[in-house]
Amino acid sequence: MNFLAPLFLLGALAIAAPFVFHLIRRTTRERTRFGSLMFLKPSPPRLTKRSRLEHLLLLLLRCLALALLAFAFARPFFQETSVQNSGSGLPSRTVVLVDASASMRREGLWVTARERVAELAAQAGPADQFAVVTFGRGVNTLLNFEDWTAAEPSVRRALAAERLEATTPGWESTELGGAVVTASEMLLDQEAANPGPRRIVVVSDLQAGSRTDALSSFEWPKGVQLVLSPVTARAGTNASVQLVADAADSEQSRAEPIVRVRVTNAADSRKEQFILGWDETGGTGPAVGGVEIYVPPGQSRVISLPVGDLTRPRTAIVLEGDDEPFDNRIFINPPEKRQVRVLYLGSEAAGDSRQPLFFLQRALTGTARVELSVIARAPDAAPTPEDAGGALVFVTDPLPAASAIALRAQLEAGATVVAAPKSAAFGPTLAALVNRPGLALGEASLANYAILADIDFRHPIFAAFADPRYSDFTKIHFWAHRRVDPATLPDHRVLARFDSGDPALVEISVGQGRLLLLTSGWMPTDSQLAVSSKFVPLLYSMLELGGVIPSVFVPYLTGDALPLPASVDVAAPTTVTAPDGTTTSLPAGTRSYAGAAAPGRYRLEAGGAEVTYAVNLDSAESRLQPLSPDELEQLGLPLAPVQADAVKAAEREVLLRGVETEGRQKLWRWFVIGALLILLIESGLAGLTARRTAPSGGPTP
Amino acid sequence: MAVSGPAASASLISPSALMSIRNLELRARAVVEGFWNGLHRSPYHGFSVEFTEYRQYAQGDDPRYVDWRVFARTDRYYIKKFEDETNLRCHLAVDQSRSMTYGSSGYSKAEYAATLAATLAYFLHRQGDATGLVTFDDAVRDYLPARNRASHLRALMLALEKPPGGKATDLAAPLDRLATLVRKRGLVVLVSDFLAPVDRLERSLLALRACGHELSLFQVLDPTERTLSFTGPAVFEDVETARTLYIDPTAAREDYLQKLTAHNAALQALCARLGAGFHPVATDQPLELVLFDFLQERMRRGRAVRNQAHAS
Repeated sequence: MNFLAPLFLLGALAIAAPFVFHLIRRTTRERTRFGSLMFLKPSPPRLTKRSRLEHLLLLLLRCLALALLAFAFARPFFQETSVQNSGSGLPSRTVVLVDASASMRREGLWVTARERVAELAAQAGPADQFAVVTFGRGVNTLLNFEDWTAAEPSVRRALAAERLEATTPGWESTELGGAVVTASEMLLDQEAANPGPRRIVVVSDLQAGSRTDALSSFEWPKGVQLVLSPVTARAGTNASVQLVADAADSEQSRAEPIVRVRVTNAADSRKEQFILGWDETGGTGPAVGGVEIYVPPGQSRVISLPVGDLTRPRTAIVLEGDDEPFDNRIFINPPEKRQVRVLYLGSEAAGDSRQPLFFLQRALTGTARVELSVIARAPDAAPTPEDAGGALVFVTDPLPAASAIALRAQLEAGATVVAAPKSAAFGPTLAALVNRPGLALGEASLANYAILADIDFRHPIFAAFADPRYSDFTKIHFWAHRRVDPATLPDHRVLARFDSGDPALVEISVGQGRLLLLTSGWMPTDSQLAVSSKFVPLLYSMLELGGVIPSVFVPYLTGDALPLPASVDVAAPTTVTAPDGTTTSLPAGTRSYAGAAAPGRYRLEAGGAEVTYAVNLDSAESRLQPLSPDELEQLGLPLAPVQADAVKAAEREVLLRGVETEGRQKLWRWFVIGALLILLIESGLAGLTARRTAPSGGPTP
Repeated sequence: MAVSGPAASASLISPSALMSIRNLELRARAVVEGFWNGLHRSPYHGFSVEFTEYRQYAQGDDPRYVDWRVFARTDRYYIKKFEDETNLRCHLAVDQSRSMTYGSSGYSKAEYAATLAATLAYFLHRQGDATGLVTFDDAVRDYLPARNRASHLRALMLALEKPPGGKATDLAAPLDRLATLVRKRGLVVLVSDFLAPVDRLERSLLALRACGHELSLFQVLDPTERTLSFTGPAVFEDVETARTLYIDPTAAREDYLQKLTAHNAALQALCARLGAGFHPVATDQPLELVLFDFLQERMRRGRAVRNQAHAS
């Protein structure tokens, strides 16, 4: 027989009470008045001399009642063998997810995590299945169920430790959600073959920067338990540094080039003073050109750090003064302007304010990162090598057949061409460009004016205007436009129509490139487009669509695939130089490099072109405060209590099993009933005894 | 003694029967009348509490008190003492403290003491002696100077009938007060349980004695107080202080009796030293016997005084 609350058995010691009461001569409650107590001394309550136990049966009954009550409170139950087996009868399957993100590089965390995994592996029974998976942005299976099962039970623990030994935390962010989803899928794979208990144990620092988005749309499978096993690092000051997207105007207005970084200090930090400087030695020497900065805990500051000496390779900014060094370094690409040429094929003079070129030259002035130059060419001029580099080509006048064929070759190679015919005479050129000889353009007859009515805001060109505040195109009047029958066009998509239903902007795919056919011009003779506020954004949308300019500033993070620019020829193998100097060759035809696991500057060389990427740590990794379990519970995860101690958990399990068994057997009820019965008998017996002894007891004087 | 023995005790009134008489004066009268009646069978005749004498004139005596008839007969000057001077002036000092309210046999020690005092008063009054009364607890409550009038006896009885109320028994203070109140010397009869430390009592009695008073002490105790004849253990409550003690009488009896005997012995020794009469009285003792004891003591004392006078 086992007891749920064995401490209550101490209550059985109360049995001593009836013994003492039976032995002590009954103290009288009667009071006797007496003249004077001056000659009297208090008598101690004394035990009867013969230590006689009067009414032995009563005493026994009382003791028994007390003992039964004590037993009832101790919640006894009989261990059921079937219950014991139900938990461990089927082999369990455990996936241990070990956080290998950058935040685990903190002192002591990884060692603790390894010990934790070793403990878990030791707990696994011979029939249990066990897998170890590390995760950062993605998951990396160190030990799968098959390897575990294949290994001898005696060496399994060593196997898990060995696999983990060879791994160290990387520099990636923590995609906790994705890892948990992957692990649950691993568990579900062999559900039919193994219906035993399944659980996922997450060994992680569970920092607030962990991403759990993947779990929000994930339906948690039944029967899979999630156990969090957090490893905690000693609390210390942590400040981090991130690159801020540069604001074009502020950068332009300065004489001296600067880099803007944001320094964030954690809420639980104890330090406020840091030094921000340039790392010129690759982390071996002190920071150069450091500035002292003051960031109170829980706040962040944006610092403009002057690049200063332009002759030195200043590619990394380092933050000094906090306890956690892993997030104190960011790598930057020295700001450089990209030269982009736009080719304009038209016959008009540059200064003619009634012609398209005039507006185009004024609209495309470039940005902080892009220097745009519009090269105007007559349609019949011979193409120069300079023209070949044109990223975007505007065509407004009919081209000679040879030029049209050359342009079509460019199109098929992937170029983007915007055709804005000034008149219906452009028809044959268009037919040549899209390779539809029968294609013809007509002039629309407008009574007054036309407006854009049906715009496809989902297309990248109009996506910038999708917001209702900017989507009003009705103010732009079109006095004249060309008509084209969409049915005659090849593989195309009408992006905008006039109110008459005629296409206004059509995207036509030609080979790898695309032709944007604008059936009206932007010059004042055709429309108000050039003078509307939509014109410049529309042009830049076209440039972005053509891949000429990057759409937004994209910081590259560890684990990101580094793309090769569209302009780079990938026919030749690409050589990647990692921050530590090692080079990797990518096979020909590869357009991106996915091996940027550590932060630093990666140089990709292919076909004579060279691109350098600065890859940095995800700023989310710097948010080190613990993730609240509430957040995980809100995602609907069946969280098991945090497993701080494996032994404690085992004890708890035994206890829970006991509670369950006890709740089923409810033996205490019988004990209480027994105690009540005995008390009833005792009362009756005591009454009987009292009645029998009453006549014989003489009254006291 | 003639009155002792079963035959004599049969004619005595048992205290419980006496106490059923509500009127204190009637009680006293019943005792004293019975006593007078019984006295005829007594071999001792004509004793009196008073003592009168003719004293030879000495220089300095007031010539007014010279008995000229004796001078005429004997040709010698004798001084005749005045009636009031020779009559006994008796003061009854009755303890009415709360300890006297205890009683195990239907009446309290206080009632018994009052009856005893009333009996003495009635008896002395019948003899023509002046009787005064002092009732006290921890201080003097009532004081009636010694007189010999019929109305005085009534007042005395009324004062005795007052219920006891005092808290503590403090004999010393009331006795000191009595010494200052009663200037003329006489007999002082103390009726109390004397359950108070003896050493404090001694000084006060000495003071009274020094004033020339004769002293007679009646210690009224309940029979249970004399023997502690309780059987079962109980919580004993002091009627005076309300202090409670758990007492097992069988265990405590020996010690109690020892202490009580020692106390009484000390009291008796004190009385012997002072030349005072000491009469331990149990409340179940017939009052005639007490009265008889008292008279016997007086007679003994009278003889002793006379012997002393003759010897001188």
